[in-house]
Amino acid sequence: MSTNVKFRLASDRVNTQILTGDRIPRLYTPGEVVTAQQSFMRGHGTYVEDDDIKASVAGVMEQVNKLISIKPLKSRYVGEIGDVVVARITEVQQKRWKVDTNSRLDSVLLLSSVNLPGGELRRRSAEDEQMMRKYLQEGDLISAEVQNIYDDGSLSLYTRSLKYGKLSQGILVKVFPSLIKRRKTHFHNLPCGVSIILGNNGFIWISPTSTSESENDGGFTQNLSEVIPRADREVIARLRNCILALAQCKMMLYDTSILYAFEESIKYEVHELLNQEAIFDVAFLTQHRLRLQEI
Amino acid sequence: MLTERVFMRKTKRGNILKIVREHYLRDDIICGSAICKHCPVSMQNDDDIVLVANPSAESSLFKFPIYLVPDTNVILDQIDIFEEDAICNMIILSTVQEEVKHRSSAVYKKFRDIVGRSPRHCYVFVNEHHKDTYVERKPGETANDRNDRAIRTATKWYDEHLQQSQLNIPKAKRIRVVLLTNDAKNREIAQNEGILAISVDEYVKSLTEHPLLQDKLKHKTYEVESSKNALFPPHLSPAEIHEGIKSGALLQGSFMASRENYLEGSVNVEGIEKFVLIQGRESLNRAVDGDVVAIRLLPEDQWSAPSEIILQDEENDPGDVLEEETEILAVKAEVEKTPTGVIVGIIRRKWRQYCGILQINQVSGSTRHIFVPAERKIPKVRIETRQAEHLKMQRIVVAIDNWPRHSRYPNGHFVRALGPLGDKDTENEVLLLEHDVPHSKWSEEVLSCLPKLPWIITNEDYERRKDLRDIFICSVDPPGCTDIDDALHCRELPNGRLEVGVHIADVSHFIRPGTALDKEASLRATTVYLVDKRIDMVPELLSSNLCSLLGGVERFAFSCVWEMDHNANILETRYHKSVIKSKSAMTYEQAQLIIDDPTQNHEIAKSLRHLNRLAKILKKKRIENGALILASPEIRFQVDSETHDPIEVEAKKMRETNSMVEEFMLLANVSVAEHIEREFPECAMLRRHPNPPQTNFEPLIKAGENQGFEIKTDCGKNLALSLDAAIKEDNPYFNTMLRILATRCMMQAVYFISGTVQNEEYFHYGLAAPIYTHFTSPIRRYADIIVHRLLAASIGADSTYAELLDKHRNSELCNNLNYRNRMAQYAGRASVALNTHLFFRGKTQEEEGYVLFVRKNALQILVPKFGLEGTIYLNIPKDNSRHKPGAPVFVFNKDEHTQQCGNIIFHSFDPVVVRLSLDSTNVQREKLVFELVKPYIEGFSVEPMELSVDDNDDQKASDKVSESTPKRPIGNADENKPKKKKNKKTKK
Amino acid sequence: MANQDLLSDQGLRLDGRRAHELRRIRCKLGVFSQPDGSAYLEQGNTKVLAAVYGPHQAPGKKSNHSEVIVNCQYSMAVFSTGERKNRPRGDRKSQEMTIHLQQTLRAAIKTELYPRSQIDVFIEVLQADGGNYCASVNAATLALIDAGICLKEYVCACTASLANGNVPLMDVSHLEEVSGGATLSVASLPSSNKIAFMEMSQRFHLDHLPKVLDHALQGCQQIMSILDKAVREHLALVGSASDWGNIAK
Repeated sequence: MSTNVKFRLASDRVNTQILTGDRIPRLYTPGEVVTAQQSFMRGHGTYVEDDDIKASVAGVMEQVNKLISIKPLKSRYVGEIGDVVVARITEVQQKRWKVDTNSRLDSVLLLSSVNLPGGELRRRSAEDEQMMRKYLQEGDLISAEVQNIYDDGSLSLYTRSLKYGKLSQGILVKVFPSLIKRRKTHFHNLPCGVSIILGNNGFIWISPTSTSESENDGGFTQNLSEVIPRADREVIARLRNCILALAQCKMMLYDTSILYAFEESIKYEVHELLNQEAIFDVAFLTQHRLRLQEI
Repeated sequence: MLTERVFMRKTKRGNILKIVREHYLRDDIICGSAICKHCPVSMQNDDDIVLVANPSAESSLFKFPIYLVPDTNVILDQIDIFEEDAICNMIILSTVQEEVKHRSSAVYKKFRDIVGRSPRHCYVFVNEHHKDTYVERKPGETANDRNDRAIRTATKWYDEHLQQSQLNIPKAKRIRVVLLTNDAKNREIAQNEGILAISVDEYVKSLTEHPLLQDKLKHKTYEVESSKNALFPPHLSPAEIHEGIKSGALLQGSFMASRENYLEGSVNVEGIEKFVLIQGRESLNRAVDGDVVAIRLLPEDQWSAPSEIILQDEENDPGDVLEEETEILAVKAEVEKTPTGVIVGIIRRKWRQYCGILQINQVSGSTRHIFVPAERKIPKVRIETRQAEHLKMQRIVVAIDNWPRHSRYPNGHFVRALGPLGDKDTENEVLLLEHDVPHSKWSEEVLSCLPKLPWIITNEDYERRKDLRDIFICSVDPPGCTDIDDALHCRELPNGRLEVGVHIADVSHFIRPGTALDKEASLRATTVYLVDKRIDMVPELLSSNLCSLLGGVERFAFSCVWEMDHNANILETRYHKSVIKSKSAMTYEQAQLIIDDPTQNHEIAKSLRHLNRLAKILKKKRIENGALILASPEIRFQVDSETHDPIEVEAKKMRETNSMVEEFMLLANVSVAEHIEREFPECAMLRRHPNPPQTNFEPLIKAGENQGFEIKTDCGKNLALSLDAAIKEDNPYFNTMLRILATRCMMQAVYFISGTVQNEEYFHYGLAAPIYTHFTSPIRRYADIIVHRLLAASIGADSTYAELLDKHRNSELCNNLNYRNRMAQYAGRASVALNTHLFFRGKTQEEEGYVLFVRKNALQILVPKFGLEGTIYLNIPKDNSRHKPGAPVFVFNKDEHTQQCGNIIFHSFDPVVVRLSLDSTNVQREKLVFELVKPYIEGFSVEPMELSVDDNDDQKASDKVSESTPKRPIGNADENKPKKKKNKKTKK
Repeated sequence: MANQDLLSDQGLRLDGRRAHELRRIRCKLGVFSQPDGSAYLEQGNTKVLAAVYGPHQAPGKKSNHSEVIVNCQYSMAVFSTGERKNRPRGDRKSQEMTIHLQQTLRAAIKTELYPRSQIDVFIEVLQADGGNYCASVNAATLALIDAGICLKEYVCACTASLANGNVPLMDVSHLEEVSGGATLSVASLPSSNKIAFMEMSQRFHLDHLPKVLDHALQGCQQIMSILDKAVREHLALVGSASDWGNIAK
């Protein structure tokens, strides 16, 4: 098997950071005084020292009435209620699953927050508790929504909607959570025949668009025997590379940007999209198109 | 500020390592010229602008003013030229500076000093870090070529840089930059590049206003040494030497020429206990005293013994031929052969500048002359000078340049003149220079560190110090002593104990660490006592006034106070800074009189008697412990108060009081040593006296055997006992002479830092003390100042500072102190010798003496009255000019070490009478002549003076059978005289 | 002692810097995509990579209910030194360094914000040329900032030493470290003037401490402004690439 690996000197690398805009907001860095006025309240990313509100992260200030917070450009996923996330089961516990959502603490999926096979109104019995591992076991990927946030900051998820549930065949792409643009919907069936779930936590699920609407089983089936045609798989791979290309250029990820990138990437072979030049080209063109659209 | 950087790659042999270092290039380095208008102004600092705007145009070769840029070899070779003020306005490139530093640290030091002198207008330009002048080594270019190119680049840059500032000046008058190099190839390249370049010789010759500068040019021979006419075998190349030493075929060591025999020397090789003997001119192979050499050991059957001959190079430049060396070759005795070798190469020359006199070439008008160094270990030097007539009656300084194979003597060049021959100041100057004694005037900076007069003691001082003004403290010193650094007291306490106090001048109060004064003092390290002059370690204001514990005035002291019982056992020790008021500053004689006079019963008398009694107990204890009592003859000159010429010589008298003061000083030193070692186990400054190796004692044991005494040398105590036992009724001086010999077997006592040596090695052999230091003479010894500071820090009286606790720094300091001490001792002895000469000028005296050694061709005589040692030569060979026909033949008995002539046998220690006179026939080098008077040997001895008055005067002159400059014994037991001042001396 | 030569009469050091000048510092944030935060920093020829993972759930037993666990790993690439190293980490020196780093970083991280969590900081020295600790701290600071972890402020470290026995030198290189005397490494929180960590390479007289410390602190201050500039540039680039995405509305 031939491999196609390229090593480059740092000086030969393509600088992906020239996609700049001209509008730069006021930036704060840790330790910098945001305001000396005591009438403000400190929010996330700030702390009070010597009556000053200081930034504790590097980012941009956000002010909501009297509340001042600094938002970092990048951090672990900080969940909000209603966020769509793609997550991985890490542990099966009493009446709950521990789920990795790329946030600071492990999230929880309660047994009561899932739709069990047999309809929404099914009673949960002791058997169900014993059967938990049958439904979801360690390593399984799910899509879910943030239901609640506990005091310590950990998230509670639920999948009690047909949209959510166990994920079957597809590819998981991890990007920084801050690159996922918050939209009304995070589920997209792209025209190229692929579905993506843009988890707010930075996990992106790419799968072939299922032709058959799933049976009403609460999403606990995995059809691993179904063979996905090569063409579909190539599209999925291309999409993955496009998403990574955008992520590498620190561009926001949402349906339009991904679609544009996909379209701009057609002129490259899938594997060529791993080249720095191609990455840059695709990202640049996408950026260009997006900017045009804005105007 | 940082502009750019490039990488320097270096590979080291062995493991190939690629070392990458940063190299910052800057744009803020200014050119340092007063005319410059282009250098960044913000960086300029007036101190940095040293090149004057109107350098004089003295060179006849250039019609315009110039700045000079010397290259590395020019500086290395012609450093003496640069000593002259005529060479100024130089630009020193950092490339050159680094190379000089790398190649010769001695030259670098000198050069740095020259560059620092402000009237010289030398600017150091850091071309290596300047953005426009840095050059990168090209592939395949040698480091030397690169440096040459860097020098050229910088010169060119300078020239162009300065042109830009002189646009409004006519071209012919602009300042130009001239490269000074002796490398013809480099000059050529430079000229092709449009750089003015010139060789040093040309430049110096073109300085028409300074014709004498040419004398100082070093003659560097570039000619290949041909083996034709070669007097010496060639030296091995460095690579061969390196290989040889690595394989063990060659040995490395430092060469020491013999004082007595110019064709003999020895090499001290690490790992060989004995010195390796080198005999004969070819074996010596152009090594000069001090050089580090490579030698090859001869097979054992060719080993030889040090000849017992005393030989001096008397010839007046016989040309480049070697005379027969039968004299030494004949002495291949069977006994006592020592390892013998030949010098095959010189690893490092230790040439320095030598003082001496000029021996004028008989051919008039010749510029080539012979220089005779004052130090007998150094060979004569050929020099070239045009001022011979002027210099012939002067003491001059000369540097050796080279020593080609075909030349009997090394070639050198004149450096400077010191003054007229025979002049006291000149001679003292020579003495100080030869012994490397710093004796320049105190600089302004140093003097500014002195307290302002009138000096008053403030109330804070009283508060901080213990007030001992009411105590009856007195000092006892030799007459005429102005730097009194110790005082004593003793009183009875109510509890029946005795309180004994030793009060030492608090010099560290005045000399604060890090000041210019402190630095100067640490450089000088010790006060040097010459017969008629004292070279102070600290300025006189301190040494003779503020620090000196004069009688009747309040002075600061560092006190060491013991409580003792009446058997001199220490019960308690305290140290504190104090204020004292000495009640009386006495001489030893005065103190002795008070003790001996029972009618005197005042406080001081009582105190002195207590002290005297305790001192005797202490001394007894010390001797029981095995402390040695050694001796070396010591004399004192009575000096004419106006001419400073010696008018009378006397051996020093010893009184009980000398010993009394000494005992308490020893006690204080030991107490303090214990204390600071406890407080600062890693960095205390101590003094040790190593056990001498047994081989050192061989001459002593032999001498004892010849006289029927067994001298045990296995430990200090046995040595002391056997010395005590060796008494001859008929020869009262015998014991003293043995002790003189014993002194010469000793090692040198040295300062050291406690953390650098194993605890067992702290031992002081001479004093039989497990630990010792110097505390009691801070006015005249720098070590004491350090000890004071340590002690003060340990009792909280003063704060420490970084250097005080820096082990390595202090070790370096110790090295300097040891070196200076040794040199000061030698200088002192040389001064006595000088004055002895002066004393004997125009005088002839007969004195009693003793045979100290019997040599194969000479007797060494000691004259106790003058502490003089001299030689009477025997059996002078026929071809020697001093040979006297009909002289009796002496027979040397090797086993017994005797010389026999007829029925008279000379043994060691035999009493003789000798006549002393000064041989002034050679004005440049006076010699003290020893002639035998008694026992009378026909045809050899001179008649006693009374008889010879009208006898045959002419014979007396030709009768000079013996001559030698007097020599002072090389003793090291200076501990026995911790109060050695002006050649004062302890005796048994 | 070679000490004498560290500063020439012209006031230049062996590499051409003046006594109070830092080496060139170049740095870059966000060099990896896998860790939450990462940075690369060159301080002269000392080159360091730092990667930060977390904060994430601390493993069950270790989890601390009030504060975050800072877990460091200091490792030196085997090719980082003149002579090849045998093991990149786990030797006493590296372990000591790990503890020092942990201590330093804890001083800057707002640990109370992350109960039951852990932050992993991995440091890899690619080339060692003196001041490894300092470069590591500085790189780690950048990586922490890149990871969006709350800090009180930058924590910067700088070394200082003495030349010729009395002139303080800032930011000493390896050559100066070995040929000079004691080296003082200080990590400080420059704007609040707090010292997070301080270490001497050998004994050293107290008299020298104030001036050397002062130099080291000045160095920290300068380093902070260099890092701050780099952070701002990085933010501007990343921010505008995403058109300030979710942040600026």
